[in-house]
Amino acid sequence: MTDFHPQVKQLLDGELTLADLPAALRPEGVEALRLLAAVDREPVALPSTLDARVLAAVRARAARPSLWRRFLAPREIRVRLRPWTLVPALAAAAALVLFLSSPARTPTASTVTVRFVLFAPDAQQVSLAGTFNQWDPAATPLVRTGSPGVWSATLILPAGQHQYAFVVDGARWVADPGAPAVDDGFGRRNSVLSL
Amino acid sequence: MRTFRAFLLLALVGGGTTLRAQDISTRLAGRVSPEVAALVQRLATSAAARGLPVDPLIQKAIEGGAKGVPADRIAAAVRALAGQLDVAAAALTRAGPTHPDTDAIAAGAFALNAGLNDTNVTTLARVSGPRHTEAATLRVAGTLAAMGVPAAQTVELVTQVIEAGGESADVLALPGQVSEGVSHGRGVTPAQAAAGLARAAAARANAPGQQKPKPPHP
Repeated sequence: MTDFHPQVKQLLDGELTLADLPAALRPEGVEALRLLAAVDREPVALPSTLDARVLAAVRARAARPSLWRRFLAPREIRVRLRPWTLVPALAAAAALVLFLSSPARTPTASTVTVRFVLFAPDAQQVSLAGTFNQWDPAATPLVRTGSPGVWSATLILPAGQHQYAFVVDGARWVADPGAPAVDDGFGRRNSVLSL
Repeated sequence: MRTFRAFLLLALVGGGTTLRAQDISTRLAGRVSPEVAALVQRLATSAAARGLPVDPLIQKAIEGGAKGVPADRIAAAVRALAGQLDVAAAALTRAGPTHPDTDAIAAGAFALNAGLNDTNVTTLARVSGPRHTEAATLRVAGTLAAMGVPAAQTVELVTQVIEAGGESADVLALPGQVSEGVSHGRGVTPAQAAAGLARAAAARANAPGQQKPKPPHP
């Protein structure tokens, strides 16, 4: 971008004429004026009806305020405080403060990344089914790791308790040998994960 | 206006009930037989009316279907779980003045399934007090029992940790600590590892300057 001499800038602003410039700056002034002239400076002709159309649109909007505008419109509200009405309000405020300051009874929702690993050297496919995927054996396949016979899957699970089992070759339900297990009610064991 | 409000309330309540029933049948569709789905629907409706959690019943039916279990065994397992939820709710109700929440009841049923009895559940709910959620305490206790820690020792360990001023994170860490004790010690059983942790917690509770929190429900 061209940076003109301050006096040339004054020329462009109309504060000086070309004749006011020192002789050394006149070529720069001429060049600046030439560049300025290159810009389309043709005046914009506005239609004569524009003012009337704008005002008509403004009047129409003012005459039919939308529900939202009516809601947002400033209005005068008078509040008359009666002492006895303050009692339930203060009680409600105190209850709210007590509620908010009491220790949380429900743990905050959070997630934990868990890696499931099974050593199944003879398996063709291994998957994971549990309370976190509606016990769907097709939902969470494990993949072979670099170590022979080792299968793994990494899941992000919500904090809490989950029960699960590995499904080997789509048919054999196997409890995780590295996790505690409980009776599943069907004569097998479910592994337990507490996060 | 009052009539309209009453109608709106009825519509919301009725709509919620219908939605729940539809939700259960949708979740079970194609996963269990129609007979099992109908049974779960009945048990869930009855459980919800008694303030019991419904989701464990649905999950158990889905689990049975996924495992290819015969319908009659799924029905038996869902009925047994409904019974455990009832026992857990009663045990929790004995522990305090307020009706237990569904999360705590589900955790209580899990603890029962893991080997604790209803008295253990009541004791642990009382010990939890306002500083710990009953559900989290019961889940930890159930997990310890599932690891092989005897029920009495499980209750003793959790109680000692809470009464020594342990925070929720300390309680949640117990299964991992027991597991660590078993894997690091030579021939250490889960019971022995839990006993060691309970002794350490008791020592902390009796240490000079240690304030022992009072149990909330004497």
